[in-house]
Amino acid sequence: MTPEKNPLFKDYFKEKSYDEMFTTSKEVKPSWLPLYEKINALGPEALKNRQEELDWLLLENGVTYNIYDDPKGLNRPWNLNSIPFIIHNQEWKLIEKGIEQRAKIYDLVLKDVYGERKLIEKGIIPQEVIYAHLGFLRQCDQINYSFDKLLLIYAAEISRGPDGRMWLVNDRVEAPSGIGYTLENRTNLSRIHPGIFKKMNVQKLTDFLYKFNDLLTSVAPNKKENPNIVILTPGSHNETYFEHAFLASYFGYPLVQGNDLIVRDGFLWMKSLNGLKKIDVVYRRVDDAYVDPLELREDSHLGVAGLLDVVRRNNITIVNPIGSAVVENPGLIPFMPAIAKHLLNEELILPQIASWWCGQKKEKDYVLKNIKKLVIKKIDKTNRESIHFGQYLSGEEITKVKAEINKCPYKYVAQEQISFSTTPTFSNGKFEPRNMVCRTFAIASPKGGYTVMPGGLVRVASKPGNVRVSNQRGGINKDLWITNDEKPVLENSYSFKQQNIAFTSGLADLPSLTAENLFWAGRNLGRTLSIARHMRVVLNQLSAHQSENIRPDSEKIITLLKSITHLTNTFPGFVEKDKSGKYALDNPITELHSLVLDEKRPGSLANTIGLFSNSYFAIRNLWSADMWRVFYDIKNIWDKLSNQEEPTSNAIVKSLDRLITRLIAFMGLIEESIKVDQGLLLYFIGLQMEKSLLTIAKVRSLVVHKHDDYTDHELLILLLNSHESLKLYIHTYRSNINIENVLELLLMDIKYPRSLAFTLKRLWKDISCLPHSNLGELHDYERFILQAIEQLNAQSIATLVEIKPNSYIRENLDSMLENVCGLLFNTSQTITNRYFNHSLKQEQLVSQNFTNN
Amino acid sequence: MNISVSHITTYNYESPVSYSHNIATLKPRTLEGQKVLDYKIDISPKPNEFSERIDFFGNYITRFSIQHGHKTLKVTAKSIIERDYSKVRESFFSEKCKSVTYSNALEMLKIISPDIINAKQFILDSILVKNNTESMHSYAMESFKPNRSVFEATNELMTRIFTDFKFVPGFTNVSTPLSKVMKEKKGVCQDFAQIAIACLRSIGLPARYMSGYIETLPPPGKIKLVGTDASHAWFAVYIPSFGWVDFDPTNNQIPENQHIVLGWGRDYYDVPPLKGVVYGNAGSKLKVAVDIRSI
Repeated sequence: MTPEKNPLFKDYFKEKSYDEMFTTSKEVKPSWLPLYEKINALGPEALKNRQEELDWLLLENGVTYNIYDDPKGLNRPWNLNSIPFIIHNQEWKLIEKGIEQRAKIYDLVLKDVYGERKLIEKGIIPQEVIYAHLGFLRQCDQINYSFDKLLLIYAAEISRGPDGRMWLVNDRVEAPSGIGYTLENRTNLSRIHPGIFKKMNVQKLTDFLYKFNDLLTSVAPNKKENPNIVILTPGSHNETYFEHAFLASYFGYPLVQGNDLIVRDGFLWMKSLNGLKKIDVVYRRVDDAYVDPLELREDSHLGVAGLLDVVRRNNITIVNPIGSAVVENPGLIPFMPAIAKHLLNEELILPQIASWWCGQKKEKDYVLKNIKKLVIKKIDKTNRESIHFGQYLSGEEITKVKAEINKCPYKYVAQEQISFSTTPTFSNGKFEPRNMVCRTFAIASPKGGYTVMPGGLVRVASKPGNVRVSNQRGGINKDLWITNDEKPVLENSYSFKQQNIAFTSGLADLPSLTAENLFWAGRNLGRTLSIARHMRVVLNQLSAHQSENIRPDSEKIITLLKSITHLTNTFPGFVEKDKSGKYALDNPITELHSLVLDEKRPGSLANTIGLFSNSYFAIRNLWSADMWRVFYDIKNIWDKLSNQEEPTSNAIVKSLDRLITRLIAFMGLIEESIKVDQGLLLYFIGLQMEKSLLTIAKVRSLVVHKHDDYTDHELLILLLNSHESLKLYIHTYRSNINIENVLELLLMDIKYPRSLAFTLKRLWKDISCLPHSNLGELHDYERFILQAIEQLNAQSIATLVEIKPNSYIRENLDSMLENVCGLLFNTSQTITNRYFNHSLKQEQLVSQNFTNN
Repeated sequence: MNISVSHITTYNYESPVSYSHNIATLKPRTLEGQKVLDYKIDISPKPNEFSERIDFFGNYITRFSIQHGHKTLKVTAKSIIERDYSKVRESFFSEKCKSVTYSNALEMLKIISPDIINAKQFILDSILVKNNTESMHSYAMESFKPNRSVFEATNELMTRIFTDFKFVPGFTNVSTPLSKVMKEKKGVCQDFAQIAIACLRSIGLPARYMSGYIETLPPPGKIKLVGTDASHAWFAVYIPSFGWVDFDPTNNQIPENQHIVLGWGRDYYDVPPLKGVVYGNAGSKLKVAVDIRSI
């Protein structure tokens, strides 16, 4: 069967395009043949299944990409096509040379523009192309680096032009993303296509990653051995945060944010649980302008003040060095042949797109005249927003773009619009030709030259015929396979994680922001579980009592409703009227549903789950794949519930049931997936702290007040229920339920893991393992927790339950619990101050709200 | 003529800051007609780290950090300067300078030579002087005609700014957009210098921002009070085949010996006298006292 008649490729040849898989006479190219045969052997159903399996794998592994300015944009699933893109090694060798040549040129350009500036002086590069580029940082002028190359990582984007050759279409230098995604693509794709992967002798990526690790290790200042390396991320809202966390856990380097770092005595330090730790190498994913609010962008909270000075002193290596963005510069393209000639005495190996820099009059005139068939870019800010495709612009937009060019011509470059090749993409059961661009990477080799990754991240347009390819526009990804006729020879591999152990082992070296996030993950998780359980009891009771949304008449129900206000800290709530005179007690169902579902309401269950999700994402480099699966389940349960229009109480209770079991599974996984010295201790402290506080809140709101005997009895049962302790109570006491026994079990029973006595003791034990504990004199936080334990044990149960004549309040019990509660807050506060003090923000001496754009 | 300069900057923080990193451009540079005989900087509390370097534009940058809690930061820069600018000033009035017309200048700026390339970066937008409006262009073009001397035209531009703009302290701050200054015609010396720079750049001429001091003379018969002088700013235009020429639009004069140069850049952003990042929640009060005397 010829491809044209193949039903899988129905409509594929409808639109004329230059294709990767097929020749112009619609025959399969030899390098694609094994894949084509495999596709046919599988057929549409099996192909669909494999795509679904792949989607599932990616979702399960938590591969995500954040879309900016989109409320649902956080953690979008990663879209990987099950059909790889193929380049035969024979062709790849030439491409590799071309990329290496580019990297060499950009390295020399960087050295020149921050050094002698001969290229500008000789008129090889017009001064505006450098001096007017926002990425040219005068603060980085004349720095002497201790390593040979200025360009350490380079990402090249290539597409196949109409001449059949691979063209260089874009450069990424500042903080190129994609290495982690490429690896993740490969891992998953080779899992669903094991046979064909082997058959086509696809080159492996692991060796490149070892070399990447070698690079980071070898560039440390003064060739320091076993340098301390960190990965600097802008945080969990960054579009490629998944990758930052992925690489941190892959290489075993701490993932830090600007606030984790500080400059002192001319060095860069990481704030860890045990104080400051000197850092030698920063692999940064924060853009140039944001890394130092002292010398660069004043409004940045992503960097650390004084960093540039540490660079000048050669006490830190930043990968890529600050200021490298200046060569991410389409203004250079027209001058590249001359630059290559001047620097290397070579011709460019890879063709590039014809480009006109508008800083020259003749070129500008040409661009203005032919704007409809050109693509207009700024020399800096090469991001999608500032790229105009002439053919899509309206008359009005063209006038606007022309005016912009006329105002600042040297800031603009126009490029010919090329129709690049298409590649088969599996979509809805058949293949479609889609435009593609492939990003691959070159890293400086410690032995000289550059090493190019034998693979890359391929992105194809989201729709056929769409020429704009970008993940921000919902693109689809593909894995690039470099295939061989014979099995490629593997270089020796070794385990790099071992090398890094010296740095990342030990609780003391945990970055304090990570520690804080673990602490809060524990607190929020504990809170979610306790509130979900209590909420379930309350909803069930209310449903059993009444179906209308009116004020309940039973004292039991009212007390129960009030307890949820106490637990969630959502006063006035059921406790009293609000300022406008409204009383939630009049519409109990409305208030309860709001407490479950209103994510904007502090204290609500939805809000607490949101907080838990945030701390989850902030430290996702620590979590295991299983945990992602359960977490994803939790999110799903919750999304389904919140997408229902006015769910019934019953539906909510059902969701709570499922939520509770998943939460418990998740907690179990945490305990077996993370090591104590990775920070599990902090998680436990947070968890026990929250459990203790909520036990106190429940007891105080349900049993401190004395009601009639019936109500008291009922409330005790509900308390045991909410605490999941009713069965145990019956088993232990084999008697009627009375307050003395209930308090004995929930507060005092040192052998019962859900009792306050137990959680406090556990807290004390964990707190004693913190790096600054047990150093002779007791720390504040140690003293507070010990006092809390003392308070709890100071009085007998009999004394605690006493009620003074003419009173309805068990005052001894209430004041004891209040004291313990206060001491726990103090413990939490002092731990926060001692270990994760980020309250000191970096601020400008004089606030200067300049924008650099 | 020898001049002593004392520049004291004091920050009083509302609550102690634990840590601060600072950058100062307070050491005057040496240039033709100006020699720095002595310079001292005194920082209180004593900084833990202190270093000096020369920046992209050739200015002296002082960097220091204080790594312990403090409530007050006081930086005292004192220098003795030998200023003899009359010869330089005279050269501005020479035929070599005055004969360059606006159209000559534009033509010569196309030449590829290190000097011209270096000067031409001062035509480009900078952080505070950018997105210049049509109004600046037309304001400049009132003085600039193709056959008119660049020197004469710039001199007139300076005088017009001096006449049209009102000196109103407090109306602007460092981040006030230039378009607002242009519209309201109010501001201080930094604004006037930057207006002139924007005007010159909008018509294709290199212009740079000069940071320094000016000695003020007491009214006749009165004794000069200490600390009444101030930081000052003016601008310079590049006249191809001649060089840079200074103009002070705030005082409508071509600088001579009362003006002392600290440094220069594309605009204020490149040469702020003192800036920094502090750790802590610092509301602060700033006090600056400058004193300049002939000795």
